[in-house]
Amino acid sequence: MHRIISFTDAIREATEQSMQRDPSVIVMGLGVSYKNGADGTMGTLKERYPERVFDTPVSEFCNTGVGVGAAITGLRPIIHHARVEFGLFGIDQIVTQAAKWNYMFGGENPVPIVFRLAVGRQWGNGPQHTQALYALFGNVSGLKVVIPSSPHMAKGLLNSAVRDNNPVVFLEPRWLYGLKENVSEDDYFVPLNKSRYVTRGSDLTLVTYGDGIVDALASHSKLLETGVSIEIIDLVSINPIDYELVFESVSKTGKLMCLDTTNNAFNVGGEVIAKVCSKLLHKLSFPPVQLSAPDAPCPTATSLTEFYYPTKADITKKVLSILGKPLINEVLSFGDLHLSPKITINTL
Amino acid sequence: MTLDQLLAAYRKMFLIRRIEEALVKYYFDNKIMSFVHFYVGQEAVAVGVCQNLDLGDKVLGNHRSHGHYLAKGGDPKKMVAELLGRATGCCRGKGGSMHMIDKSVNFIGSTPILGSVAPISAGSALTQKLTKSKNITVSFFGDGASEEGCVYETLNFSALFKLPLLLVVENNLYSVNSKLTDRRSSEHNLSKIVEGFGLNYYKADGNDYIDVSRKAKAAIDSVKNTETPSVLECITFRHMAHSAPICDDKIGYREIDTPETRKKEDSLFKIRTLILDGGTLEESLLEIEAEIEKEVSETILYAENSPFPEKEELMKDVYHA
Repeated sequence: MHRIISFTDAIREATEQSMQRDPSVIVMGLGVSYKNGADGTMGTLKERYPERVFDTPVSEFCNTGVGVGAAITGLRPIIHHARVEFGLFGIDQIVTQAAKWNYMFGGENPVPIVFRLAVGRQWGNGPQHTQALYALFGNVSGLKVVIPSSPHMAKGLLNSAVRDNNPVVFLEPRWLYGLKENVSEDDYFVPLNKSRYVTRGSDLTLVTYGDGIVDALASHSKLLETGVSIEIIDLVSINPIDYELVFESVSKTGKLMCLDTTNNAFNVGGEVIAKVCSKLLHKLSFPPVQLSAPDAPCPTATSLTEFYYPTKADITKKVLSILGKPLINEVLSFGDLHLSPKITINTL
Repeated sequence: MTLDQLLAAYRKMFLIRRIEEALVKYYFDNKIMSFVHFYVGQEAVAVGVCQNLDLGDKVLGNHRSHGHYLAKGGDPKKMVAELLGRATGCCRGKGGSMHMIDKSVNFIGSTPILGSVAPISAGSALTQKLTKSKNITVSFFGDGASEEGCVYETLNFSALFKLPLLLVVENNLYSVNSKLTDRRSSEHNLSKIVEGFGLNYYKADGNDYIDVSRKAKAAIDSVKNTETPSVLECITFRHMAHSAPICDDKIGYREIDTPETRKKEDSLFKIRTLILDGGTLEESLLEIEAEIEKEVSETILYAENSPFPEKEELMKDVYHA
């Protein structure tokens, strides 16, 4: 059975099914006991599992470390931080303890833990509440890092993350919380380490992930009107990155665009372009293009954020210019620019 | 305390002391290419605490954990092999001196980022509580680590959730070469801090096995029976430098623990004297010492004859299957 549910519903459903499936799963974090806690992803879980869902002191380092300690002794904790910036208090536990534990103790020392960190844009959140820090987590050996791009992906990836024996950083683009999709009621699993095609096309390969997918899809529809078909790849995982579809698609289209909804320096798009150039330079008919936010903190005023994030119109314009086609003048509404999408999508 | 207990403690303390002393030359011969922090002087703390624990109780340590590992019953051969970077080491050569682990005796890991072990040990205690285990978790860390914010957070967290947790603060007076007075006001009072968070506080002379053992027993009983986590602070002397097996008195930072005082207050010397004063013949101790010396030699020989990890090991176990 499928039905249309939101991104946050999908996370709640995966949490619930994980807790039903495995009695060792616990959930900890600030406010996870409230019905509207953890951005509305908890529901009645506290009532149903009073000993396995608990609110914590405002001590992110400790909370994160307690999760690690519980994971190495047999539980499967989900640790929730409502902003990646809050999670940074516990960064030692994520990158130096959890990520290294199995390796530094010679193997056979699993750390089955999920760090749910909310990342990225949301109106009014400003420089200290909108970072994504993908590059930071992508760089850490020993972590698995996934970014769900739709409700279907959120549910299937969280189920897999909880079942995995490694520390999984689950970066939730807050921008997508209201997004809806037709999602299976089943307890299904999406592989943590496989990129996927979101659309098939022949003119250009667009590599993105997370909230980049929504704008990429909107641009894809617009471009179809002009007879241009782009192939959108959702990376799904940025640690490690699965290049199989990227190489396959670029070999076919000869053109690569990477879209990051965060600042430019050391970002995922740059990494993908470097790998493609070093392996498939001879297949490229046009220099790879990167779309990203500038290397400045994300401001708060809408008159500034309007120019911060790349938009669906920017993607469309760039694709058309690469292909040497006439540009389309697209006018974006205030909602397009500043409010998170409350639409139903189909990425399957 | 029975004579058997005392002799068992002496045997363990002597092993910890001699195994490290025997390893000094391997360090200077570049055979130990692992950062080392020797435990010499502090043996009464590890042994005094661990001898009061059950096999099922879990222990975690810090960067200076050879003593904690051995006191909990960790395999000496795997420890020395790890220091020499061998495939037979407790981490197959991947961890080195700062990462001791022997899960067969529930020594579940040591990790050198100061203070980090406190919340990890609270997580282990949380597992014990949620699974209704009768066992407790103990972590060892120093006075320096006890100044990290996450330790205060852990005091609060463990008191809130009534975790079966004992935090042992080994106060050896220095963080590297920084004195307590460099780092704390004269009003600093750990017992008030700990009790203010709702935990029990115990203090022991960390150079005195009897005192550590007695206070550790009280603390462990309280953790097991009253659902109140505890802190045991042991004041002890680190005989060697922070890192590297050398005596560093010439630097001049030591005020209380001068060579004369260290010798007088040496935990091993004190327990030995105590046993002899109780009427035990020195011959019995010499016999124990000879046995340990033999064990140490065999242990080092085992490690030296062990293979180095193969190149394939480099990329193995980045992830668990």
